[in-house]
Amino acid sequence: MRATNMNEGDRPLASLPLRPPRAPHSVSGHSPATASAFLLPTRFGAGGLGGCYAPETLMQPLLDLEEAFRKAVEDPSFETELKSELRHFVGRPTPLTSAPRLAAKLGLKALFLKREDLTHTGAHKINNAMAQALLARRMGKTEIIAETGAGQHGVAAAAACARLGLSCTVYMGVVDMARQAPNVARMRLFGTQVVPVEAGQGTLKEAVNEALRAWAARCDKAHYILGSALGPHPFPTLVRTFQTVIGEEARAQVLEQTGALPDSVIACAGGGSNGLGLLVPFLGDALHRFAVEAGGHGSALGEHAARLDGGRMGVLHGCKTLLLQDQHGHTAETASISAGLDYPALGPELAALALDGQIEVLRASDDQALEAATWLCESEGILPALESSHALALLPELAKRGFATVLLGLSGRGDKDLATYQSKLGI
Amino acid sequence: MNPLLPFIMAGDPSLESLPRLLAEAKALGIEALEIGLPHSDPIADGPVLQAAAHRAIQRGATPLRVLETLAGLTESPDLILFTYLNPLLQIGADRLMELLRPTPVKALLVVDLPDSEEVEFEARLRSAGYPMIPLLSPTTDLERAKGLLERRPDPGPGHPFAQRFAYVVARLGVTGTGSATDLKPVGERVAALQTLSSRPLAVGFGLSDPAALGAVRAMGATPVIGSALVQALAAGEGFGSFLNPRLA
Repeated sequence: MRATNMNEGDRPLASLPLRPPRAPHSVSGHSPATASAFLLPTRFGAGGLGGCYAPETLMQPLLDLEEAFRKAVEDPSFETELKSELRHFVGRPTPLTSAPRLAAKLGLKALFLKREDLTHTGAHKINNAMAQALLARRMGKTEIIAETGAGQHGVAAAAACARLGLSCTVYMGVVDMARQAPNVARMRLFGTQVVPVEAGQGTLKEAVNEALRAWAARCDKAHYILGSALGPHPFPTLVRTFQTVIGEEARAQVLEQTGALPDSVIACAGGGSNGLGLLVPFLGDALHRFAVEAGGHGSALGEHAARLDGGRMGVLHGCKTLLLQDQHGHTAETASISAGLDYPALGPELAALALDGQIEVLRASDDQALEAATWLCESEGILPALESSHALALLPELAKRGFATVLLGLSGRGDKDLATYQSKLGI
Repeated sequence: MNPLLPFIMAGDPSLESLPRLLAEAKALGIEALEIGLPHSDPIADGPVLQAAAHRAIQRGATPLRVLETLAGLTESPDLILFTYLNPLLQIGADRLMELLRPTPVKALLVVDLPDSEEVEFEARLRSAGYPMIPLLSPTTDLERAKGLLERRPDPGPGHPFAQRFAYVVARLGVTGTGSATDLKPVGERVAALQTLSSRPLAVGFGLSDPAALGAVRAMGATPVIGSALVQALAAGEGFGSFLNPRLA
């Protein structure tokens, strides 16, 4: 890495300099006759997932965003600025914590937790929100639009905007506002306007619809900070580039602590910001990579958010990917106890990696996730977010399959989910 | 010049009333009409068309039922199928062409399909006689507009308006009449676009009152009326009584 601003005692932020994807699984020019004016690859994997399926009003703003992103990641001053915010505001690097009591309980030799729950605002979402807010400021944008499901991305965007003096509007489904009420209050305290979205199921999908509409109306002044590795190009690439700090740090830390890589790495996956953020830096390694989707409360369409088995190739919110949909091409309803995983499409890069056999996608049910949360609380004194609990829930399965050393992405803390834990666990 | 391009949502107020509405439109002298295929996630539509799509889906207006309802209709204006991409992708190009053949549909306007994506799908539909209507928005600069008009070309004067026009989005944002559209920049925009090509232009988004429609005609373009018409039909107003005062 380039050495900039390295004071004595500072530990390196392993993800920098920023590297947009040039990995072998990214292919450009999937449709050779295209008139695409984008310069970065817009498609992922052998199946050519992703793309830019946006209304014409958003095409020039997306082209401008790609250009600004390309220039920023090549500009050392952006790297310096981002690095400083990640260190002094976000609290990076986050620790890699050994969890020996939980490992023993579940029959693993060793378990390491990448502690995104310890970032400022309590989840990995801040890595991307801060980076995109800095990018927006470079672009001369004064307003930020964001969507949120669990509220963690909304809180992260709100915090970044308060810090940088940008105005912020967050769209959130009414069902999510009720189940993640503490995060609504936090956003409002940071001066963000939270707009309730009542349409449809009142969850993340409808919030993205409304955020896209708001951006189309304000794209001359506003930047849209998408929080997941989905949406039209260049968003999936932006988000994964700003989130791979998780896996870069974790990889260096586990090598430093144990002298070896684990035999498996596991993360939960809604759109894929956390899943890609942790797993992408391990793509070249000889180990097993797992992503865990929301199994909800059943296997019928509408009872879960498990896109790998339940989804078909389709286009939603600007990208082509595995999508839960009915026979008419209408987006299906989804269900999950975890607002952050309750989304009908798997991010295109993660879906491509899954289809190409680089990442194995599993699912955990609502009940399994709830139980897994109690294991971590009782064995290690850490309260995980419901999203992260889905990854924890698969640890016994990994042990059963013979994996001994596991690195798990603890994407967020569970304070926002206390009401759900209290009511579901009867505490 | 075509004086008005109306938009209606298929299945709202009902699929059963659709053939009668189309016959009325033809009797009024409407040459072409946009027909919306109700979608679950209409990201470019405002509250009125979102609600109309939702009602239509609740009443069973699936893409297949809509196309079956249109099959065999002769008393109808030329139709432009206004839709989002995913339902069409799920049907597939071959079956879609088969389904469109017996209908009055002459062209497609797919909101979330830029000409850089699904090029093969688009090329097959075009060669079967179903061109994609190009959209030009306030964020489309003239150079980009030139490219868009070339890549989705005017099939020429021998073809009906429905297949020839380009759709000029009058303002940023989504469909609907929430705020009146400022027509001064629209006039400048249309004049600039008219220097690029001689193909017919339609202007839509935020137009409803007769004066605004007249102002667009004065620019030499065809005004589109969508949300206001859908709202009127949903409220039980007659097609003719709403459109008559709005026809030149």
